[in-house]
Amino acid sequence: MTVASYLFVAACLFGIGLYGLLQRRSLVAMLIALELMLAAVSINVVALTTLAGRDGSLGQVVALILVGVAASEAAIALSLFVAIHRARHNIDVEQLSELTG
Amino acid sequence: MSGPVLAAVLAQAAPLAACLTILIGLRARPRAAAGLATLSLVVALGATAYLVVVVAVPNVHWVAQTTWLPVADGPALAFGVFFDPLAATMSFVVAFITLAVMVYSLGYMAGDPGFARYFGFLALFAWAMLGLVLASNLLQVLVFWELVGLASFLLIGFWFEQSAPAAAARKAFLMTRAGDVGFLLGVLLLIRALGNATIPDVIAAAGPAGIFSPRFTATVAILLLMGVIGKSAQGPLFTWLPDAMEGPTPVSALLHSATMVAAGVFLVARLHGFFAAAPEVMRGLLWLALVTALATATMAMVAEDIKRVLAYSTISQLGYMLMALAAGSVTAGFFHLTTHAGFKALLFLASGIFIHHAHSNEMRVIATKQPRSQRAGVIGLVSGSLALAGVIPFSGYFSKEAVLATLGHNAGTAALALAYLGAGLTAYYTFRMVWLTIPVGAVGAVVTAHHEPSGGDRAMAASVLVLSALTLVLGYLGGWLAARLGHEGVEHGPFAFGAGPLVALALVAAGIALAWVEFGRRGAARAGFAERVPALRDFFGDNWYLDRLYGATLVRWGTALSRAARWHDHTVLDGASDGVASGTVWGGRILARVQGGYVQAYVAVAISLIAALGVWLVRRGGLP
Repeated sequence: MTVASYLFVAACLFGIGLYGLLQRRSLVAMLIALELMLAAVSINVVALTTLAGRDGSLGQVVALILVGVAASEAAIALSLFVAIHRARHNIDVEQLSELTG
Repeated sequence: MSGPVLAAVLAQAAPLAACLTILIGLRARPRAAAGLATLSLVVALGATAYLVVVVAVPNVHWVAQTTWLPVADGPALAFGVFFDPLAATMSFVVAFITLAVMVYSLGYMAGDPGFARYFGFLALFAWAMLGLVLASNLLQVLVFWELVGLASFLLIGFWFEQSAPAAAARKAFLMTRAGDVGFLLGVLLLIRALGNATIPDVIAAAGPAGIFSPRFTATVAILLLMGVIGKSAQGPLFTWLPDAMEGPTPVSALLHSATMVAAGVFLVARLHGFFAAAPEVMRGLLWLALVTALATATMAMVAEDIKRVLAYSTISQLGYMLMALAAGSVTAGFFHLTTHAGFKALLFLASGIFIHHAHSNEMRVIATKQPRSQRAGVIGLVSGSLALAGVIPFSGYFSKEAVLATLGHNAGTAALALAYLGAGLTAYYTFRMVWLTIPVGAVGAVVTAHHEPSGGDRAMAASVLVLSALTLVLGYLGGWLAARLGHEGVEHGPFAFGAGPLVALALVAAGIALAWVEFGRRGAARAGFAERVPALRDFFGDNWYLDRLYGATLVRWGTALSRAARWHDHTVLDGASDGVASGTVWGGRILARVQGGYVQAYVAVAISLIAALGVWLVRRGGLP
């Protein structure tokens, strides 16, 4: 397998995630799409470190840190969603438009 | 500070303190306001009387100055007091007349809603005029000069809720201001030349040993005289004074005798040494004053309003004062100013009694309302008129005689002859006024209305009677004045009878006789020779069409300029700022649409921009 195939998979994942982020109206679905994009980035990091001729373990360490970051981000986001749901009884992003200019 | 200087300061401080107290704290307490204002004038009268006693030595003067504005690399501007017999006498006259007018106003203005404000303004007037008289340098004179203008503006427009007084006040302010432009320029030239404009320095600098070139002196003299012409209602700038009759009658009495219009004449007397160094300018002033005196005498011959007759006579008499000054005699000019202050205040206050009684200014209307029942008014009007006409032994005779003698000495035959003619006209229009107001036989329906004299009526009558008595006394002060001011070399005393006094008396008698034939005797036509010719009547009655000329030229040009300025202001200046404001609002509305509140739209924009940035970076080959 060449590096290009890893990058291709990552690009596909990123595209799917972007589509979901822009298309879905539920906050939870948007969060899932965001996680997909993050995963694509992690794959890119690992693949591109190899391409740059460095030691492969450096990229793997960064990818592990990214997993941790993604987990904490998900925790914060989900708790916010719960709070929003308690206050408004839905989590439709189109309804959250009070802060218009 | 020495005693006299302290007295000079006190004379100014008392009316100022009264004015401020009344206008700030006593607006709602008319009796206290009137009492305080009158008290302050009593104090000022005492202080100025002390000054008159102190300077009862010829050619003495006091100067006390303190630095006001130290200027780097230049002499300091100063302020202070300066008085000599001339200024001391003038300040006494000012304080006396103002006090008489105040006492009179206690009755005349009783019940007016602006009673307290009125007395505050009178105190302001007194302060401004006393400050002008006792000022030590010309910059200070200019400040008080403008304050006098302000006070007269406030008092002429005292009934500002009516349109005519408001318009008259505006006209007075603007016309005198037009002359004051020249005054300001003259003072600035003097300050530039001398570093300051202390009055004795200015006079010394214009003298034979002074530093001013004759040309500079003449220029400054013309500029200062512009202010004098505006203030003392001479030449082309006199038309504000008849309109100023819209103010309360006691204000007219004050304005016409010792304050405002007297300021211009006083300034010429005060700076006489300076003006005398520009003989050609003085010659021009002489003829300007002569023409003004004759022209306004003709206007007085056809006026129907008693106050307008008196206003024209004031302009005419101011012309006589300026003629005497221009012909070289401070004594004669200032003597006439003093006697005129007495009898003109008297005439206005007496006419005020009739106006108060008849509720009309029209002489023919007053005549139908039993004018004879107003004893004090009749006494005041007749004695004041005898003085104005110049009948021996009333005060006006002596001072006018001194003026005419000066003219005969120094001004040539033509000017003297015209001045005699003016004296005859004065007698004619004065007694036309007397007989039109107080007809010999009964005119119209007799209305019997018993009127119990009140305290206010007594105050009015007391002022009038005191001033009436003065018309018999003031004439004998000529010698006293000449001894103190006398350094001009006109030896003609008030009692030196020659051919001159007889000519003047004959002309006065002729004028009175003509008035008797046309207005006085039973069955008289009660219409004068000038009134019977419609063209003359319109010409004289309309200020020789000067107001129309101004209306067609200056006022129209001024209005056009104002319109253009308003267009520029509204369209260009306001338009620019309005455009910026509406542009901001409009731009804000457009940009606000970006902030839709939809998170996904923000994400789309952010990612598009990042993508565009990425494409751009790749095309230019990496980060900078």
